[in-house]
Amino acid sequence: MTVAIGNETTLEEAEQLGVDRPASPRGTGGPSVRQTLAKPWVGLVVLAAGAVVSAILTGVKGGFPAGWVPGSISAFSSLGTWITAHQSSAPFFTDVLAPIGTGLNAMVSGVSTFLGWLTWPGLILLGAFSGLAAGRWKTAIFLVVAIAAFGLLGLWADSMSTLSLMTVAVGISVVIGVPLGIVAAFSRHFEQLLRPVLDLMQMLPAYAYLVPIVILFSIGNPGGVVATVIYATPPIIRLTLLGIRTVPDDVIEAGKSFGSNRWQLLRKVQLPMALRMILLGVNQVIMMALSVVVIASLIGTGGLGDPVLQALNIVNVGDAFTAGTVIVLMAMVLDRVVSAFGERADPAHRTSKGMPVRRRRELIAAGFALVVVTALVAKLGFSATNFPTAWSFSVAGPLNTGLGWLQHHLYHYASVPIVGGTSNLSAFVTLEILNPLTRIAGDMPWWLAVFGTAALGYIIGGWRRALLVGICVTGIGLLGVWNDSAATLAQVLVALVMCIIVGLPLGVAAYWWDPVEKALRPVLDVLQTMPAFVYLIPVVLFFSVGNMAGVTASFVYALAPAVRLTNLGLRRVPRDMVEAGTSFGSTRLQLLRKVELPAARPAIVLAINQTILLVLAEVIVAGLVGAGGLGYDVVVGLERDEFGLGLAAGLAIVVLGVVLDRLTQGREQRRPARAA
Amino acid sequence: MRQPSDTTTTAKRSTIRRSPWHLPWKLGLGGAVLALLLAACSSSTPSASSPTSSSAKPTITLVTNSWEGSLANNVVAQYVIEHDLHYPVKLLDLSEIPAWPATAQGKVSAVMEVWGHYKHYQTYVVGNHEVINAGLEGPMGSIGWYVPTYLMKEHPSLATWKGVKKDWSLFVTPQSAPQGQFLDGSPSYVTNDAALVKNLGINLKVIYAGSEAAQLTEIETAYKARKPIIFYWYTPQYINAVYHFSEVQLPPFTSKCAALPASQINCAYPPYYLYKIMNSHLPKTAPAVANFIKRFNWTSADQDSVAYAMAVKKESQTAAAAAFVKSHQSLVQSWLSGPFTKVRAPIVGT
Repeated sequence: MTVAIGNETTLEEAEQLGVDRPASPRGTGGPSVRQTLAKPWVGLVVLAAGAVVSAILTGVKGGFPAGWVPGSISAFSSLGTWITAHQSSAPFFTDVLAPIGTGLNAMVSGVSTFLGWLTWPGLILLGAFSGLAAGRWKTAIFLVVAIAAFGLLGLWADSMSTLSLMTVAVGISVVIGVPLGIVAAFSRHFEQLLRPVLDLMQMLPAYAYLVPIVILFSIGNPGGVVATVIYATPPIIRLTLLGIRTVPDDVIEAGKSFGSNRWQLLRKVQLPMALRMILLGVNQVIMMALSVVVIASLIGTGGLGDPVLQALNIVNVGDAFTAGTVIVLMAMVLDRVVSAFGERADPAHRTSKGMPVRRRRELIAAGFALVVVTALVAKLGFSATNFPTAWSFSVAGPLNTGLGWLQHHLYHYASVPIVGGTSNLSAFVTLEILNPLTRIAGDMPWWLAVFGTAALGYIIGGWRRALLVGICVTGIGLLGVWNDSAATLAQVLVALVMCIIVGLPLGVAAYWWDPVEKALRPVLDVLQTMPAFVYLIPVVLFFSVGNMAGVTASFVYALAPAVRLTNLGLRRVPRDMVEAGTSFGSTRLQLLRKVELPAARPAIVLAINQTILLVLAEVIVAGLVGAGGLGYDVVVGLERDEFGLGLAAGLAIVVLGVVLDRLTQGREQRRPARAA
Repeated sequence: MRQPSDTTTTAKRSTIRRSPWHLPWKLGLGGAVLALLLAACSSSTPSASSPTSSSAKPTITLVTNSWEGSLANNVVAQYVIEHDLHYPVKLLDLSEIPAWPATAQGKVSAVMEVWGHYKHYQTYVVGNHEVINAGLEGPMGSIGWYVPTYLMKEHPSLATWKGVKKDWSLFVTPQSAPQGQFLDGSPSYVTNDAALVKNLGINLKVIYAGSEAAQLTEIETAYKARKPIIFYWYTPQYINAVYHFSEVQLPPFTSKCAALPASQINCAYPPYYLYKIMNSHLPKTAPAVANFIKRFNWTSADQDSVAYAMAVKKESQTAAAAAFVKSHQSLVQSWLSGPFTKVRAPIVGT
């Protein structure tokens, strides 16, 4: 029932698929050449030889040879120009895309009109009854408070337009995603085709393709829905696929023995059994969709992104934070409603609820009628579509004052004993770690980078991975953004180390003490769903414009999976193992070091992997606070109409993500569905 | 796997069917649906008919860009259009670049302040005529190098770029070390600063804050601590009424220098004649509004006063606009019946 718990299942999946693994033919013996090549030293010698030959051929100069870059940026730019030139003439654009845009707009307006009829008292009541219908008082109370907060914080109208857009976007994602997941579950070929596409959709920053979306689908709702669907659909495809794949074989056999055909098997056995995973997919879609609300506002969708952007224009963190809080609350509301109805549909839960079916039906009918009556009375009697502005209040003033006080006392050199102020810390990390790392990565000769990472890939995952990693690193050079990638890489690594230093101990603390876990959970939820634009100003307040501000923003965003997965991994260490350790008289710390941490290693490796990907997702925000690198390039792409540069940098982020992902995945582990 | 339980569920269903609650339950549901439909009809008929009856008055959409002055233009324009011309107005937050195709497609009626954008002007105004140049807005946009006034007083030599060249070491930060730091802002604003520091031989490194919010936060932090900082800034900007900044003189702008390739520029920024654009169909669909937009014209001080009222004094948009309109009656009258403002195309390099 918490928000954004996707990471936990990725572990589950990793294990389940790991169990699946030995059955696959790939791991078993092959031809003798292959066996020779599989000897580790042979591979390393081959790669080293490759590096030496390349060094001799191209010289030992640092960086990527400028002459090799095939003008990717200008090629992408001419693609952008071509789209602009043909948007009103090419039949594909006018006959296919334009009507889609019109349809999307109609759908969003439809939902918006419906919310208008419902009125604010009606919507609050509907929230209450969704909670009650699931038999959960606490959820009902939460929904009432959260929905009322949209209005109390003075953002009812903006909330309703975001809610309309989100409903449509999430609906479309589910309608597209579930069938694609089903098809992929039954066809390995389709799955292999789909995977890189999903990676691309998830890792390519939306900033990089906003301009073409505007040109093809126009600004406002159509463009907003398309951008949101592109970003938010992958998790539900991945989790549907996973849910169906992991239905136990004996259950399927049982279904077959009853004479079910393939379609019946899917409808009666596999889909119901996969329902939990699919619902988790819906949850992830909601989280991801709400995380692009602010970006969608850049192309005129309105809604809750607007107050965030407007607050940034006048450097008012309090206002931005208020709007950000409403976005977080909306994510939680949608999540609670979906899981409330999801549990009802889940066969495992259906009978366990105390309430008899009949009474519940009456309750739902009564509630539904009450909602309608309330809406009618509110609408006709009081014309109460919008929340009364007189009731709303602002928390921006105190927030700004508090932040100002904090900056005053934490920023300057002498203000904090021993370590100095935050500006001091920022200066240290920038001068001693980030700048040298950036220089080393950027000045590294291309052949050392390519063959070095390939060797790493070889050690971790054999030839296939070495090849992939080597090609990817070369690709970054060919895209023409070698130096900016170096800057981004340095920031990613530092943010990762920070996440590990802070996240692992927190994860352990959450494992040891349940109250800590309870207290951390909402904090982590907020960190993951609060739009990063909100903490753009605070990070600059404390760490100054520069790469340390960018690293800090990434660290804040990516901390959650590090804590969650460490905690979860430790909790899943078999009890008998822990008890055996205890019986040997180990202390708690010894137990952790000798038994629990080694046993939880797969989870921790996965935590690192997830953290890296989240840090990369935050690269854009780093670009908005002066960290430069690929994030800044992507922002320039949108803001100054340099589509080519934006797309090249966006693709480089994806490629960098693939490289880091493959280098941090364990040897036997298959790709986990990236749900966060 | 569900087969065995099937009989039990049908049994359950039949008990429900026989229950005395069955009828009210269904009636209640039916009633509710009916009521909702009625509500839908009753609330949608007037709202559906009203736009058709007043179809002569389409909603006017104005683009608000990421600087507060842009919002100041819009709230005043909105106030006048709604109160004097009686068209509904919507303000839309949108980035500068998407605003051009949006205006061309008619999703947006007008943009009240445009800085340069020579390239888009060529595509949409000169090229396919989907966008109309609606004349000058009044304020001259001025971009330049600035330092806080307290710093200028301490180091009077900073009044020109030569002084900056000499005293670059004042501006060293961890981010730019070992060079001095020159702070640029939002990437959407035109900047030649990297070329300028190189071509003028100044030992500064341009750091791109990436957003105006980050840049302004950094300037404020330095300002409060009275520390040295040098940055890219512009007028009109309401914040100039809050903080005191002084401009650093760059080599004077010449058309010869403007014609140089971007990497060789070595003179001050060109003056920006801020102008307005609108969709080419607006004069037909809302002629009164189109004429108003062609007449709209005010000064930097006017714009700053409205922006200041909203951003610093925290007045609501409507209150700030109403106060301005009330105290500038004759100016507003000229927007309703005066001459159109002069039309001037943006120059190359802007």
